[in-house]
Amino acid sequence: MRRRVREALVGYLFSAPIIIAILAFTIVPVFQALYYSFTDYDALLQQKYNYIFNPEFSLQDYLVVLLDEEKPSLQELLERFDPVDFIEYTFGFELDNKQKEILKNYFLSEKLLKDFLDRKLNKDMRLKDFMARYLKTGKRYFTVYRPHIIGFENFKKLFKDRYFWIALKNSAVFSLVVTPIQTFLALILAIAANQKIRGVKFFKTTFFIPSITSSAAISMIFLLLYTKPGLINRLLGVFGVPPVDWLGNTKTALPAIMAMNIWTTAGYFMVTFLAGLQNIPSSIIEASEIDGAKGWTRFWKIILPLLKPQIIFVVTLGIIGTLQVFDQIYFLIRSQENITVSMYIYQNAFSYGKMGYASAIALIFFLIIFTVTFIQRKIMKEERFW
Amino acid sequence: MRRRWTPSRIIAYILLVGYAVLSLVPFVWAFLVSVTPMSYVNEKGERVGVDIMQWPPRISIFKWPPRVFGAPGTLSNYVKVFQVVPFARWTLNTILYAGLTTLGHLLFDTLGGYAFARLRFPGKNLIFTLFLATMMIPMHVTVIPVYNLMVKYNLVNTYLGLFLPKLTGVFGLFLMRQFFLSIPTELEEAAMIDGAGFIRRFFQIVLPVSKPALAALAIYTFLGTWNDFFWPLLITSDKSMFTLTMGLNFFRTSYYTFWQLMMSATLLMTVPMLIVFLSFQRYFVESGAITGMKG
Repeated sequence: MRRRVREALVGYLFSAPIIIAILAFTIVPVFQALYYSFTDYDALLQQKYNYIFNPEFSLQDYLVVLLDEEKPSLQELLERFDPVDFIEYTFGFELDNKQKEILKNYFLSEKLLKDFLDRKLNKDMRLKDFMARYLKTGKRYFTVYRPHIIGFENFKKLFKDRYFWIALKNSAVFSLVVTPIQTFLALILAIAANQKIRGVKFFKTTFFIPSITSSAAISMIFLLLYTKPGLINRLLGVFGVPPVDWLGNTKTALPAIMAMNIWTTAGYFMVTFLAGLQNIPSSIIEASEIDGAKGWTRFWKIILPLLKPQIIFVVTLGIIGTLQVFDQIYFLIRSQENITVSMYIYQNAFSYGKMGYASAIALIFFLIIFTVTFIQRKIMKEERFW
Repeated sequence: MRRRWTPSRIIAYILLVGYAVLSLVPFVWAFLVSVTPMSYVNEKGERVGVDIMQWPPRISIFKWPPRVFGAPGTLSNYVKVFQVVPFARWTLNTILYAGLTTLGHLLFDTLGGYAFARLRFPGKNLIFTLFLATMMIPMHVTVIPVYNLMVKYNLVNTYLGLFLPKLTGVFGLFLMRQFFLSIPTELEEAAMIDGAGFIRRFFQIVLPVSKPALAALAIYTFLGTWNDFFWPLLITSDKSMFTLTMGLNFFRTSYYTFWQLMMSATLLMTVPMLIVFLSFQRYFVESGAITGMKG
């Protein structure tokens, strides 16, 4: 009995770090993202209580008083001072009803104006520290940013958002083109390498190199290769193809990145297929030869069915990887017409600060990826990997 | 056994050699540009600029220094990279990022993997199923709240913010769990009879036989983190906190791209990983189990 308790304790102790990490960085964030998606969460407004201002300057401006030249009475100032009006005038943002109520009832106007007249306010202050000092109670309404819950507004907006549909279309095309081609190319290369070839190890190593190179580095190299006077146009020029500004043209930019993506991953998946091929007992191949199965027949009827686990694996990874492609798009895409969904999520959340809207897109995208993978698995009738 | 030159094998060779060339040409081209000077002094004593877009690239290895794009080849771009941008600092940041992340995975994934493989504790299966489910969630969903968490605790532009969310992961946990399940329990049972507790059993018996799995985990994590771009993009905005993947974009301005420096920097960050790959190849190419770090 004591042993079992100790075993459980050690079990919790050992798994505690990863449980905490997954909880903090995956599970809780999923629910937060869900919450964000129903709000108008704005990262720029999140910073508003950290705004720094000089209360004396702001008050002089608001009350139209110059302390260097005149000294109005406290009573006179109190009549002209309204805290709600002052905050909205100074910071340019609207307060919600709760905040207005707090200000009306609990703002220490007299204390503030006394300090103002005593010239104690000529220093830089953060808005939230200012509120902490001059509010009798309820200062938490001015220190913690609270987005408003707006129901399904983000999702409604998304359906009418032209760029969301463009991004979704681009992601879909990217995945539908890249996944089959890279899988097929990897398969062909693996079959070629399985023909009792000398130097298989050399080929495997060489094909693998692009996939261990960072997408940032690959993007930089292809940025050079794809320029108008660059290598790719030179080589195509040999066949009489006129030079194209591959990445500058909205028609060719995405296909160019797709080609780059295929180049990066095909060799990597080839290794997976080759391992699968080498596991096929040669007796099966020989038996099929005796039965007279040749070339394409053998490929379709014998090899493909035996490689099914590898094909499912490669297609699944391919779909997930291509749908989430980001780095290459970030580095190489210039036109908003060519962005993918992951890029659009990034732009909304981190360039425009619209984190509520970005979360809504991310959740819809998650549902799409989930559905696609689910359907693909059903079609391929897969056996479980884990 | 003589290998005969059948048509199918000839086609196979053409395909393989062709694709090998295709795989290597971009890197070779990047190298050529990286060793080309921006300008040089010709025989007449005039300083002339070098056009790296010219065709053919006019390479000659029979002169010293060898000529690329008609200009004397040089390694000075590799030095210049360290002078014009804080490349040493970025390298240090990347080593710290990848190194600490790898250490985290080695420790936490292994401990967790062992717990889920061998130890019995209430809720184990439920937690494990939950972990399985989290693998399907794309990072775009979770990254916004995680970023806000970093903002809240002032971890933006800090090393802690960079590697804290990366210290452990479900993928490595599964990898280690699968490995522990595959090793026989007899050794551990023998140790238990000798009176060793669970913790000693793990550190003295299990860990020493786990070196291959640990090596594979370490290599994959290090490589994946070294090449990571998305998280550094979010969490670093201060130039001194950049990792190498962030720094590469620095050689490109709206007006001009410093191709020679950019290619030097690109190769400088790629070559260490190439060396890691070539030295530990068997962990990459042979282990079909460990695929999927990169999409």
